[in-house]
Amino acid sequence: MLLLPQLRNRGCGFFISLSMLHIDRIRPSYFEESACAHSEVWLQRVNVEPGERIQIQAPSGSGKTSLTHFLYGMRREYVGSIQFDSVELKQINPDQLADLRREKLSVVFQDLRLFLEPTLRENFEIKRQLTDFHPATCIEEWAKRLGIDHRLDTPARLCSYGEQQRASIIRGLLQPFKWILLDEPFSHLDDANARKAMDLILEESEKQGAAILLADLEIVPHYPQTRLLRL
Amino acid sequence: MKRPSFHIIRPLLLTGARSSSRWFSYIGLGIGVLLLLLAQQLYIDIQALVKQTSIRKNGFDYISITKQITNENMGRDNRFSPADLDSLRQQSFIQGAAPLTSNRFEVVATAGDQIPFASDIFLEALDNEFIDTVPPGFDWQPGQATVPLIFSSDFLEMYNVFAPSYGLPQLSMETASNVVIGLRCEGQKGGATFRAQIVAFSDRINSLLAPKEFLDWANLEFEGLPSANASRVYLKTTDANNPDLLQHLTQKSYRVNKEKTAFGRSKQILQGVIAGLGIFGVLVVALALLLFSFYLQLMVARSRDNLQLLLTIGYRPDWLSKQVARRFIPVYLAVVFAALAATQLMQYGFHQFVMYNRPELSSWLHPSVWVTAIVLTGLSIFTNMRMVRKLLYGLS
Repeated sequence: MLLLPQLRNRGCGFFISLSMLHIDRIRPSYFEESACAHSEVWLQRVNVEPGERIQIQAPSGSGKTSLTHFLYGMRREYVGSIQFDSVELKQINPDQLADLRREKLSVVFQDLRLFLEPTLRENFEIKRQLTDFHPATCIEEWAKRLGIDHRLDTPARLCSYGEQQRASIIRGLLQPFKWILLDEPFSHLDDANARKAMDLILEESEKQGAAILLADLEIVPHYPQTRLLRL
Repeated sequence: MKRPSFHIIRPLLLTGARSSSRWFSYIGLGIGVLLLLLAQQLYIDIQALVKQTSIRKNGFDYISITKQITNENMGRDNRFSPADLDSLRQQSFIQGAAPLTSNRFEVVATAGDQIPFASDIFLEALDNEFIDTVPPGFDWQPGQATVPLIFSSDFLEMYNVFAPSYGLPQLSMETASNVVIGLRCEGQKGGATFRAQIVAFSDRINSLLAPKEFLDWANLEFEGLPSANASRVYLKTTDANNPDLLQHLTQKSYRVNKEKTAFGRSKQILQGVIAGLGIFGVLVVALALLLFSFYLQLMVARSRDNLQLLLTIGYRPDWLSKQVARRFIPVYLAVVFAALAATQLMQYGFHQFVMYNRPELSSWLHPSVWVTAIVLTGLSIFTNMRMVRKLLYGLS
């Protein structure tokens, strides 16, 4: 198997293991090289250390979502190399990619991507049962912290964008991960709710010793970044 | 990978795809498999039933001819001369001709102590190639005390009709084969007694056949004469209904034993119908499988977004395709098993109630029918699983 042995976290415990992400001179194949001249990510070498908190700041149309999709292995229209623990992302097969996403790499999409017919609880369970890394009680606990516990048994399609975004964040945390990609994760949230969500993400990432790559239009004020990269 | 519960993702795979199309494909598959298996079993049954009455051997028809006896030629020698035989053999539509030679000495057959039966009989001989049922060892050498005989099954039937009236026991083919017959041969030059045993029954040749070597030897030994010209000749032809052949025989005033020919044709037609039924069964199976594969493709297409999202959040395409496959495999097995059970039931009924006195048939399905059912199931499961895998890997 591609990945490290899985570690259990009964009762929201923690573990640390060193993992590296190398982004080596990547560029969307549909971008001219000249368009990447001033980027601190495109065509650059970026090494992401364990526990790092990176903010990628980018205006609209500069490829923020594309970068998230490239890193998550959803699209391959790029040149250059992305390596998770020295394994080239483009080289792995669909089952290995699933293993990577299940055990090491998490994401919160800008467009949320929840199952719309199932309830929020079912959305969480679909993710949680994949690894059984967190106990089922985490769902109630985190939903309460983010203020959506009263919506747990409501189909996702009936929830507001704000509620769906918080659900999407909780789903992203219901797995073991070494890296978490956040693509405009608070775009539908007010400051107070964004802060609560950020705290939960930071807390869980710290427990797992994971690196955070947060991409947004502006610098997120309540995100204690360790490195800022302009796309 | 931990095994997540399929229960929770099951509703995600059933969005929109109507279950009626799934059930139509299952019913279609069941009917198709039933037709196919039934046709195969019937084909095997017919082969078993008509095996002994076939006039075809090695792809040829064998028919017997005699000279037409009329008021005009009644007093003359109406046997086939060597010239007549040569003339027949020269025809392009005749691949062989063999005379049915007969004994020129007297023969009396007795059935031993168990059956008080004695009768004058005749013996005839024919080239082995022209006999439908030639068991190994149907030959004779001077000095051999036992003479193997091939008996007409029509004669046995006739015997069984009159035997009770004479206080004689009726005989099955098996018992008749076990009776040791005394064969007393007497001619101008001497006589001898042989033991004889029925080694086979012929449906094609209405005669009592001895090995040709025995008859040629006995005619010389007991009567001092070679075997005489034959009254009956067997022809080997690729098609007994060839108009040129029939015209030639009519021209020569030869009489053909048509009944056996007609039977041969009926059997061919019957086999053709059964083969047609089998082909129809294959087509129905193919259509049902196609319908089911469309259903699966539709299911995957309609659940595309959900499946893609499952793959995105870390579900393995390998695991998902197995889950989808697990949904149809038990139903597939049940459908094929039901068709197999129905075929078995029909075969049992056919043998027990329609063909109840035919030991050559079995009440149980032929093993090849089981093999067909297993191969068919394996093939359809394999192809559908492969298709689902391909579709899911295409999504990831």
